[in-house]
Amino acid sequence: MTDLALATHGLAKRYGARAALDGLDLAVPTGVVYGFLGPNGAGKTTTMRLLTGLIHQDAGTIELLGRPFGRGDRRRLFDVGALIESPAFYPFLSARENLRVLAATGAPTRRTRVEELLELVGLSERAGDKVSGYSLGMKQRLGIAATLLSDPQLLLLDEPANGLDPAGIVAMRDTLRHLAATGKTIFVSSHILGEVRQLADMVGIIAAGRLVREGRLADLLESEGVIRIRVAPDEVAAAVAALGTIVAPAQVDVVGEAGRITLQLSAERASEVNRLLATAGIFASGLEAGSDLETLFLQLTGSTAADGTFNPAGVGRVA
Amino acid sequence: MRIFSATLRKLVRRPATWVTLGLMVGLLALILLVLAVTTREGPAGIRRPMELLLFTFPTAYLFILEFILSLGGLLSVLYAASVAGSEWGWGTLKAAVARGESRWRYSLATFAAVAVLLGAGIAVAYTLGVGLDLLAGRIAGVDAGDLGDASVLGKLPEQMVRTWLVIVEQAAIGFAIATVARSQLAGIGVGIGLYFGEQFATIFLPDQVRYLPFHAANAAVDLGAAAGGAATRGAGTGALTPEEALLAVAAWLIGALLLSCLFTDRSEIPG
Repeated sequence: MTDLALATHGLAKRYGARAALDGLDLAVPTGVVYGFLGPNGAGKTTTMRLLTGLIHQDAGTIELLGRPFGRGDRRRLFDVGALIESPAFYPFLSARENLRVLAATGAPTRRTRVEELLELVGLSERAGDKVSGYSLGMKQRLGIAATLLSDPQLLLLDEPANGLDPAGIVAMRDTLRHLAATGKTIFVSSHILGEVRQLADMVGIIAAGRLVREGRLADLLESEGVIRIRVAPDEVAAAVAALGTIVAPAQVDVVGEAGRITLQLSAERASEVNRLLATAGIFASGLEAGSDLETLFLQLTGSTAADGTFNPAGVGRVA
Repeated sequence: MRIFSATLRKLVRRPATWVTLGLMVGLLALILLVLAVTTREGPAGIRRPMELLLFTFPTAYLFILEFILSLGGLLSVLYAASVAGSEWGWGTLKAAVARGESRWRYSLATFAAVAVLLGAGIAVAYTLGVGLDLLAGRIAGVDAGDLGDASVLGKLPEQMVRTWLVIVEQAAIGFAIATVARSQLAGIGVGIGLYFGEQFATIFLPDQVRYLPFHAANAAVDLGAAAGGAATRGAGTGALTPEEALLAVAAWLIGALLLSCLFTDRSEIPG
């Protein structure tokens, strides 16, 4: 046994001439929430489909919960719960009936499990309503309940926050956090960086079918943080000198002549920077702790924000 | 078994199940009532043969079976195509496979549930059909005849089973088409095309057409001369004997199910 819940080695998949995955190597430790990030078309959903046996790789290997997974190993999925793309249900059945029908497939499921899960995702009161009348958010919650039917050790969730309102997102995050605390591994594919930042312990960033960065989120943010400062142009030199006490010269970049300075520094240290400048008698007219994850994401994937500019808020979706 | 019973419960709740049964019974009722009124008000020359064929038992038993066999074949193609295609279109097959379910077993269990429901549908349609026929006969002012004729009733169970088998075979064709097309609409469209295409094929392939699924299905149920129109089914195309036709039906049924299971098992499942 290994302590990896999920691993891929050289995973490759082509659709005609286009390579959707080009040697993907993932290593997801047991018990973490792993954010799988990438721009549209990077190969996230292809990866999810391969991990659930919906499609088959052209090359490479997959290990689920420490054991090889390939054609003929479908029972390995008994310990895996997956929500791939949009949740799939029979529109003419109620939420309860849909879960019961799904529970008849795959691993045996306790009879009481359906009601427990409806309660967990807050759908008990609407459990008898037909799914065709559900909002996207309700379907998404039902989809998450469906992934938990067999009490799996590994959850594969493709854009689980899709369609959820803010309260639903918070509830989902709490649920996933709770599940992770019980030792389950959660692999979440998303392009909502703010969500991943709040949820994930680890991230893997994929671009053009390859993993371009993987690691503990805190470590990545520490190494890749950015703080942007604006001071009066004639105070730039003094500001740089003051900042030199906490960052190396190579981490300071003076941008143009408008008094803009960029620091390669964790966003969590923004207040420290502000205090340092104030102590030196320099009052910044602007100080932005950029979305570190977003910066990292944009740098690594070669993407731009939706309007083509850097978006320090870090809550927007990446085009 | 779990999948089979869950699918059965699921299909009972599916509107298409009731629409299909409603179409079958509704059309039968409509035809019987129209013919009852026509018979009652029509000239004496056409009255006698109509009375004998439609409203006088025991031949009416065979007329109803003939009707179910003819319309039921087409409806079963559409129904099974709808069930199989929706599994792909709605992504429910994807959800089952992602839970580690066996693809071919899921496909086979789904079809088995369809086959059982078709059997129940035939039984219900036939029972209602007999009732409707009696009612229509009364409207037409025709004596019901001998409802307890042993020579016809004795053969009825076997004919019912054969009818179920050939309708299941035609459903398997629709099921396989929709599975390969991975779509309800494509399955239904191609199913209708094949059904009517085979009728036209009589012109171009007079010798081969008798082996094709819908012709073989028609020839596999021997309703005898007493059924009037039913006795002429397949005539002119050198129809197979009922026993030969039954073999052809079994071959088509097994072939279509194999194709469905193999395709589901081997193919990639899109989102």
